[in-house]
Amino acid sequence: MRCDLAVIGAGPAGLAAATRAAEAGLAVELFDEQPAPGGQIYRAIETVPAPRRALLGPDYAAGAALAAAFRASGAGYRPGALVWNVDSQLNVDFSQDGRSRQCRARAVVVATGAIERPTPLPGWTLPGVTTAGALQILLKAQGLVPAEGVVLAGSGPLLLLLAEQLTRAGAAPRAIVETVPRGRLSAAARHLPAALRAPGYLAKGLAMLRALKRAGVPFHRGAEALAIEGADHAEALSFTAGGRRQRIESRLIALHQGVVPNQQMTRLLRCEHRWSDGQRCFLPVVDDWFESSVEKVFVAGDGAGIGGAKSAALRGRLAALGALRRLGAGEDKRLAGEAAALRGALDKDGAVRPLLEALYAPSAQILAPADDTLICRCEEVTAGALRKAVALGCPGPNQAKSFLRCGMGPCQGRLCGLAVSEVIAAERGEPQQTIDYYRIRPPLKPLPLAELAAFDVGDDAGDEAGDDQDAA
Amino acid sequence: MSGANKDVAARDVVVVGGGLVGAAVAYGLARQGLSVVMLDEGDVAYRASRGNFGLVWVQSKGDGFQDYARWTRGSADLWPGFAEELKEAVGIAVGYRKPGGVHLCLSEQELEEVELRIRRMHNQAGEALDPGGDPGSRLLDRAELEALLPGVGPEVVGGAYSPHDGHVSPLYLLRALHEGFLKLGGLYRAESRARRIASDGAGFLVETEHGRFRGARVVLGAGLGNKALGKGVGLDVPVSPLKGQILVTERAERFLELPTINVRQTEEGTVMLGDSHEDVGYDTFSKPAVMSEIARRALVAFPALRSVKVVRAWGALRVMTPDGFPIYEESESHPGAFAVNCHSGVTLAAAHALKLAPLIGDGGFSRTLASFSSRRFDAEASRA
Repeated sequence: MRCDLAVIGAGPAGLAAATRAAEAGLAVELFDEQPAPGGQIYRAIETVPAPRRALLGPDYAAGAALAAAFRASGAGYRPGALVWNVDSQLNVDFSQDGRSRQCRARAVVVATGAIERPTPLPGWTLPGVTTAGALQILLKAQGLVPAEGVVLAGSGPLLLLLAEQLTRAGAAPRAIVETVPRGRLSAAARHLPAALRAPGYLAKGLAMLRALKRAGVPFHRGAEALAIEGADHAEALSFTAGGRRQRIESRLIALHQGVVPNQQMTRLLRCEHRWSDGQRCFLPVVDDWFESSVEKVFVAGDGAGIGGAKSAALRGRLAALGALRRLGAGEDKRLAGEAAALRGALDKDGAVRPLLEALYAPSAQILAPADDTLICRCEEVTAGALRKAVALGCPGPNQAKSFLRCGMGPCQGRLCGLAVSEVIAAERGEPQQTIDYYRIRPPLKPLPLAELAAFDVGDDAGDEAGDDQDAA
Repeated sequence: MSGANKDVAARDVVVVGGGLVGAAVAYGLARQGLSVVMLDEGDVAYRASRGNFGLVWVQSKGDGFQDYARWTRGSADLWPGFAEELKEAVGIAVGYRKPGGVHLCLSEQELEEVELRIRRMHNQAGEALDPGGDPGSRLLDRAELEALLPGVGPEVVGGAYSPHDGHVSPLYLLRALHEGFLKLGGLYRAESRARRIASDGAGFLVETEHGRFRGARVVLGAGLGNKALGKGVGLDVPVSPLKGQILVTERAERFLELPTINVRQTEEGTVMLGDSHEDVGYDTFSKPAVMSEIARRALVAFPALRSVKVVRAWGALRVMTPDGFPIYEESESHPGAFAVNCHSGVTLAAAHALKLAPLIGDGGFSRTLASFSSRRFDAEASRA
């Protein structure tokens, strides 16, 4: 099968890109793992009952218009489709209804969004420990809230937003344990004037904090040395704050340290990436049309750097214009005019980011986990084992993977990749950019062998050779 | 660590390459009591060792080259003791097992080819005279196959078995060789890709991006890199890449004790599927068409794998010589410079560490390994 533009991911960036390209007359195919459009940020946006929609707030409800425009645009839509491989010839291999097929595109928009930053700290792999993002998905998709008071620990806007949403849903958290160090606020304050250019964000943030205070949710600031206690299930969170060790009992603890681009697909494509000190993660290198270093592969939304839902939609539209331009499907002058307006809006919306990045930079504890803390959950590799390998001369994450199996489990490094790069960089005393990241391989998510065996690529098959030598 | 941009004190030997070939030789040299520096590339390299399938494989090796058959069999014979030695030295169990191995034949034609190979190799070995050179392989009929490999698929027509075949974790092996080398006092330098090798009468000078290294002798174990590096010291190393792709599954219930040529279950329980060969230059991307063919063949071999999930695929480049056999060469124009090349870095690791390395320390390759010289290609060229 073929299409002009393949869009991967149906969050705000993917929906906006697909909509704009389809309106311009391209044959668009949008692939998404979820059964309905919205991505994680607007999860279940088309089917959410009115009371839950009200509870989740107006920023969430704004997603409905994007989904409706996409539905009306004439873009092809493949829900429940897992894209497990994309190559630089723009072939998109995907699995849907238990069958794998290939779609040959003329341009690709990767809109796979963000994932939560890994938070390696003592006890983080115990049952009963989850993430703020995971709890919010349960709330959006099923209206589920924790039966027992949850302890929210870490930092970032999502942590506070979730606390407020849970409170409104009648399931106020037992406590918020924030890891933002004392003094960080005044250090971040220099970004305040710029942040005021972005409409609404600061007022909303302050309103959120006031609401939590009114509701009487205990708020511990400047927490350090977090540890989850429990033998085979989480029982309590302990931490140091205000000069003393504290302990809050709960069998449900949600961690969060902000979100980072989901770089599995751009790494698979071997797009160029650069380390960002501000966002403390790798970002794919893109031009001002959001085209990556791989020709005709665009990266829109949070996947190109964290910017939030509004920016994601703007970037998605820009990437679509970039694809139109590359495919000769629009008048250059008109595309440039529309792009300039979008860039202006992006600039304004993004003005709040430096403040957020400075204020909610990840905690020192998770960037330099203690030696006995697990860093790779799938293969149970500790930070100490990784440091030992580095001490023996291991130069980077790919050799570490060979030596220790870290990043080789079912998650294929999604959960440990950044943490592994950080630890190696610190240990070798080199910048993260030099250390770089795991080489990512297909399939991006596990695929049954029978499905792969039945996969008929079509006419580029057949470069198989003999079988008389082993690979030993 | 990488900032050292100055000359390092001279060693007895500089080994260029930190993959399975370089590390096995470096380990063997250090084991002889020599002072050795092992130079390696950075984190991203072609590094066939990281893409290895993990077979210690005898049965198909050396058809038409009896010395290679004997050398391979010799390495397999050394393997049990070698694995023990590594475990004792550094506490890493490399997962070596020698239950014998099976080449599964999925068609009558394949079976016929394997049968011919067994007959040829048996005759070449001249069993009575040279038991050490016989791969010891024999054909299995369906009944034997089913007894040996429960769960083997109904479409598998037959197979060949050798008791000398086995398997090992290539990644643990690489790590054990590195750690063993360090423990013996070796110096390891990553991110030190050799750029140029020069000789100045007293020895060799290897220039890298991070410092220069001097040694009385130099061993090139840099895989595909040997081709360019060898020229500077009079070594002709005609190697080229042959891509192999491999799939690995999630952990599955243990079902397979014996390694086969295209399916083996690792100690962890994951299943490796492989055995593709593509002549596509330096491209290491995984290609769905080949991945699918590997999966198809694996399912013919073991249908119960149907629902097991593939978690990763990769492509790596075998280091191939024109005839597929190793090249062991000492430079005539620059005595003390050696090249070691093969595409069976796992199988031959024991021989490289325990038999080949001592020859570098003591008088060279000319006596024992003469037939592995790349001069054999000159002879072929002049015949043609």
